Amino acid sequence: MLKMHNIRKSYRTDTIETHALRDFSLEVNEGEFVSVTGPSGSGKTTFLNIAGLLETPTGGEYLLDGQEVGNLSDRERSRMRNEKIGFIFQGFNLIPDLNLFDNIDVPLRYRGFNGKERRRRIERALEQVGLSARAKHLPAQLSGGQQQRVAIARALAGEPRFLLADEPTGNLDSLMARQVMELLEFINEWGTTIVMVTHDPDLARRAQRNIQIVDGQVSDLRQSIAQQEIATA
Amino acid sequence: MFELKPMLSALWRNKVSAMLIALQIALTLAIVSNAVTIIQERQEKIARPTGIDVENLIAVTFMPVPADYDMAGAVAADLDLMRSMPGVVDASVTNQAPISGSGSASGYFFEPNQEVGDITANYYQTDPHFINTLGLKLTAGRNFREDEMDILGPHQNYNADVAIITQQFADQAFPGESALGKYLYGGRDDHPTQIIGIVERHIGAWPGWSLAGNVVFYPVMAEGNHKRYLVRTEPGQRDEIFKQLEDKLAERDPQRVIHLETTENHMKETYSSDNLMIKVLTLVVSLLTFIVALGIVGLTIFWINQRAKQIGIRRALGASRRNISRYFLLENSIIAITGLVLGGTAAMLINGLIASNFSQPLLSLPMLITCALVLLLVSLLAALVPALRAANISPAMATRSV
Ligand SMILES: Nc1ncnc2c1ncn2[C@@H]1O[C@H](COP(=O)(O)OP(=O)(O)OP(=O)(O)O)[C@@H](O)[C@H]1O
Ligand SMILES: [Mg+2]
Repeated sequence: MLKMHNIRKSYRTDTIETHALRDFSLEVNEGEFVSVTGPSGSGKTTFLNIAGLLETPTGGEYLLDGQEVGNLSDRERSRMRNEKIGFIFQGFNLIPDLNLFDNIDVPLRYRGFNGKERRRRIERALEQVGLSARAKHLPAQLSGGQQQRVAIARALAGEPRFLLADEPTGNLDSLMARQVMELLEFINEWGTTIVMVTHDPDLARRAQRNIQIVDGQVSDLRQSIAQQEIATA
Repeated sequence: MFELKPMLSALWRNKVSAMLIALQIALTLAIVSNAVTIIQERQEKIARPTGIDVENLIAVTFMPVPADYDMAGAVAADLDLMRSMPGVVDASVTNQAPISGSGSASGYFFEPNQEVGDITANYYQTDPHFINTLGLKLTAGRNFREDEMDILGPHQNYNADVAIITQQFADQAFPGESALGKYLYGGRDDHPTQIIGIVERHIGAWPGWSLAGNVVFYPVMAEGNHKRYLVRTEPGQRDEIFKQLEDKLAERDPQRVIHLETTENHMKETYSSDNLMIKVLTLVVSLLTFIVALGIVGLTIFWINQRAKQIGIRRALGASRRNISRYFLLENSIIAITGLVLGGTAAMLINGLIASNFSQPLLSLPMLITCALVLLLVSLLAALVPALRAANISPAMATRSV
């Protein structure tokens, strides 16, 4: 599904150059649920942005769904994001001016679906996250957990093959976090590949596989989980 | 259409700033369309055909110093002198200079011994050379003969036997029939004046007059205390002749004060207030358009900065650069069109007021639509650069910013 080989990403400002990712190699298979952990500033978001075609790497190879994405035009990348990838962000990232229905509608319009098809998908996605009754509400009228469920519904409505989540539970209390996690697990059971960045070791452990990023590189997996368990014990 | 409904509801949540800019556009359209209408009317007024050879005409005025001056003799000698100058096409004596803003008018009657004028015209007292001197076009009848020329002493009443009139005056005096051979009366008398010729057109001494174009010519020289000549030169010779004329006339008879003016200058002075009005209104129109464009640039930049994160989210959700630019252009068009519809209505109302109270021209619908389309284009151009810049906002904005 996702295959990165020797990906590099550096940010250059006037004074310093930051190497956010260095020789970053990773493979994620179709249908997997992978959690990503690591210290702050280690490059987790950078990895997710590159994986989701939000940023381009400085170097290296990236194959998404078997396709080399390095040379795609903006339009092709936008289209790939729209059709194959769903995003869930820590800050929910709903558009405040639009009600829930219209928020979920945004990616579907870019997809070019007709009105009937969009309505069908929006209603089903809202149902899946249990918010059908709130379709005309604005994001500000919802709790954080509800907003995150809307964001998940927005990601689901496009039926993406690949779901990327950057600390989806970071702004939620533990009960809400568990609900969101259950929703993600449910989605994964239906075949969607999920990569989730999290700071929560309990949630990380619930994934099929955990990778840890340290200093812009993937560090050894099993060992790092074992170390964390010792640390938290 | 694409995104129209959610765009409208998003706009509705920002209605104050959207409304402000729409109102600015509305006001601009209301003022600009009326100003352009006035500009156009003034330009048309200035561009009206004069019927004469404006570029090559010189008007000469002189005032003799001695009290017992032989005016008739002086005029005959001056005309001979001027007509013999190389580069001069012809010269005539006249009571008024064309398009100069000063001249004479008279009421005319269809029956003898009437009191109140039936119809009014500007009149020239001139000579048989006037058609050639002014560069008029005789379309019917004949020119004056030398033997029809009268010389009028001071305080003597003039009863003309013959006259030549403009086509416009002929049409007003005798609608639907030929004026040629018909008679007019000067009022309070029973002396008929026969119309012996018709010239195509001449605007007369006052182009701003509501009856400008009603002109009558008589073959007569009145011996007043000053006299005027009109001199027509060969094309391109006017300025040279202008210099020579002053010297030659002074040389022939130094006992007088001579003043020369080109008809072109007369015209410039006569239309100076119109030209000023055109300049001022053009400035107003340009300034308003510029200010409204600045306002749109400012508002679009403000909104784009305010919604940078939202743009990033849209990009992450699959919007291409083009989708983003189009979003802002479309949004701008909605605001502009709202403003233009409001402004169009206001323009009609304002025009109704100034047209009835200040006798200004009526705003036509095609003019209003043209102005609205131009303003729409201006607003799209103003929004274009910010909208293109918005497309450069990185999709990573969705994950990077808080
Ligand atoms: N636009 C940018 N310009 C410069 N440096 C950047 C930029 N974005 C990220 N970085 C740097 O790249 C490194 C990796 O950042 P990244 O956001 O990937 O970390 P992270 O693992 O997601 O951290 P956190 O857990 O705090 O979210 C950091 O040192 C960060 O300062
Ligand atoms: Mg991060």
